[in-house]
Amino acid sequence: MGHLIVLALVLPLITGVFTMIQSGQKAIRFINLIGSMLLSFTLIIIVHHVVENGTIHVGQFYIDSLSAVVLLVVATLTCTATLFSLSYMEQEILEGKVSFKMLKRYFALFNLFEFTMICVPMVENMGMLWVAVEATTLSSALLVAFYFNRAALEAAWKYVMVCTVGICLALLGTILLYYAQVNADLSGGGQALSWLAIQAVSDKLDPGMIKLAFVFVLIGYGTKAGLAPMHTWLPDAHSQAPSPVSGLLSGALLSCALYGIIRMVIIVKGAVGPAFPEHFLIGFGLLSLSIAVPFILVQHDLKRLLAYSSIEHMGLITLGLGLGTPLAVYGALLHIINHAITKSSLFYLAGAIIQHYGTKNIMRIKGLVGAMPVVGAMFVAAVLAIAGLPPFSIFYSKLTIIWAAFQSGNSWLGAIILLLMAAIFAGMIYYTLKIGFGPIPSKVIGNYRLGKPAMAAVSVSMVLMIVGGIYLPPWFDTLITQAVAIIIGGGL
Amino acid sequence: MNLLIIILLFLALLLSRVTSLKTAVNILLIQSALVALACAFVAAETSEMHTYIAAALTLIIKAGLIPYALFRIVRMLRREREVNPIISPNHSVMAAGIMIVLAYGLIDRALPGIVSRDALAAAVAMMLIGLTMIMTRRQAVLQIVGLITMENGLYLVGLSVTKGLPLIIELGVFLDVLVAVVVLVILTYRLKRSHMSTDTSMLKKLKG
Repeated sequence: MGHLIVLALVLPLITGVFTMIQSGQKAIRFINLIGSMLLSFTLIIIVHHVVENGTIHVGQFYIDSLSAVVLLVVATLTCTATLFSLSYMEQEILEGKVSFKMLKRYFALFNLFEFTMICVPMVENMGMLWVAVEATTLSSALLVAFYFNRAALEAAWKYVMVCTVGICLALLGTILLYYAQVNADLSGGGQALSWLAIQAVSDKLDPGMIKLAFVFVLIGYGTKAGLAPMHTWLPDAHSQAPSPVSGLLSGALLSCALYGIIRMVIIVKGAVGPAFPEHFLIGFGLLSLSIAVPFILVQHDLKRLLAYSSIEHMGLITLGLGLGTPLAVYGALLHIINHAITKSSLFYLAGAIIQHYGTKNIMRIKGLVGAMPVVGAMFVAAVLAIAGLPPFSIFYSKLTIIWAAFQSGNSWLGAIILLLMAAIFAGMIYYTLKIGFGPIPSKVIGNYRLGKPAMAAVSVSMVLMIVGGIYLPPWFDTLITQAVAIIIGGGL
Repeated sequence: MNLLIIILLFLALLLSRVTSLKTAVNILLIQSALVALACAFVAAETSEMHTYIAAALTLIIKAGLIPYALFRIVRMLRREREVNPIISPNHSVMAAGIMIVLAYGLIDRALPGIVSRDALAAAVAMMLIGLTMIMTRRQAVLQIVGLITMENGLYLVGLSVTKGLPLIIELGVFLDVLVAVVVLVILTYRLKRSHMSTDTSMLKKLKG
């Protein structure tokens, strides 16, 4: 299994290097297509291996069912994002917005970003996890700033500053955790900061110190996961990045940050019991849900609308984790996957729409279904999916989380969630109707042809969204159930 | 060691009132060198190889490469300086003084009786001062200096409570800090090119 992990880590790096030395557009496209396909394939094999044979633990790498869930997300999204990038960037070059040199830089950074995101769920200690999460910020910062115009620079500056400060606090939390581990593990036998070693001594850890460490880590990774009130960078970065990157940021990066929080929660649960972390998670979750509402109800920018919806969904997932019952955690993990697939496809489609209309302003995008029949229909369907209508997969995971809220006796919480989601639903549908129908602006002429790779990317996402709402394959169910057992039991 | 802590706190106080970019980077250089020295002290105490390596890396990266990168960008921004800071220099020194008292109070309450009390308090004070610099300065370079100050404080915290992190993690942290500075310097350069200035208070277009 060791070589497969190494292969998965090396593939994006090789693809990136090959991209740098190419001199033709076609060659770059071809290399990235092959590279991402191979990468996704390798990751899926690793996930499959985890489902069949249990945890993989080789050297510094540790992949259990929980990591596999995140890996599955990254595997799917790197594939669709690369496919979409191929068409998107072709169009940008045609319109003269991107030069050949920029194209090279884009794909090189893109592969680096993929590499860092694959590292996050694969490492086996809190220290390396921190290094990997910080690396995701840095590798994506120049992608956010890709166009180097004023707005993109502002977004990137805020992104790096806010996330680096946040993540510094997470490092402080990690150091405190290490301090607690060193004091508890007097024999000094355990690997530093490895979660296995920490769990082995979890009853001896100083509870006060662990609580302090948890708060810092939660704030740090919470910044990265876009939890309110540390979410300020998220709408800017998501709206200014090239659309395929927005999809990756929203779907895969936020999931990676949540993964960091989940790992810490497992450790804290073992040391001080579940009540302490769960109160925090519910608090942050509820705040994120409520903060998203006014911004979704009054919004002028298509991509910002989607970004605020991401904050809402991260809040919902955090709430599910905070409820802490097996059903709620099951729903939360399922929601991570469903949200990633749906939201990324929405960002891709938004990218196509923005290219055709030449604006992000919602007020100026009209008659979408008439102007771009295929893209428009898929966009409307994807918005219905993200708002939580059946038969799409998000409906199912949202239902599970809310059901769990009522079942665990938190009826008031369930009622508040429902109320907030109704408001968000109204906002999303209102703007979609505005965009989707009405007269086509006279400026918008000609037919927009979605490239074949982009079409493939979006179709795959749509199929997964619909199939996921109707039928869950048994291996998938097993994977999530195992991951839930890891979170709930703190067991392995 | 005590002398070192006093100098570090003094430098942090000084840093909170500078308005010239070049002076700020100079102070940062001395600060990072002192942090490397502190690390070397700890290494001599424990006589562990990996702490020596960490000290050497601190010297090379934080007192070498990072100031080098910052000096290069500062030379380009010859006419930039902090004008109308959100808090006036005098007030921000006072705020920094309060931070130091606060840090001592915090450490005495959270970790009573810890051996390295003074070092830890100084480290936390540095973190807080770095954080206030990021929040109250408008110049991009000064914000970067604040970030590194915060990181240095964080590093000292690690040094004083656990004698540093394991080497492999430490290496990763160094790499991340270095790349972060490179990314920020690139962004600063682009800010200068597109906005004609590196005053970050102009960055308020994205809202809602």
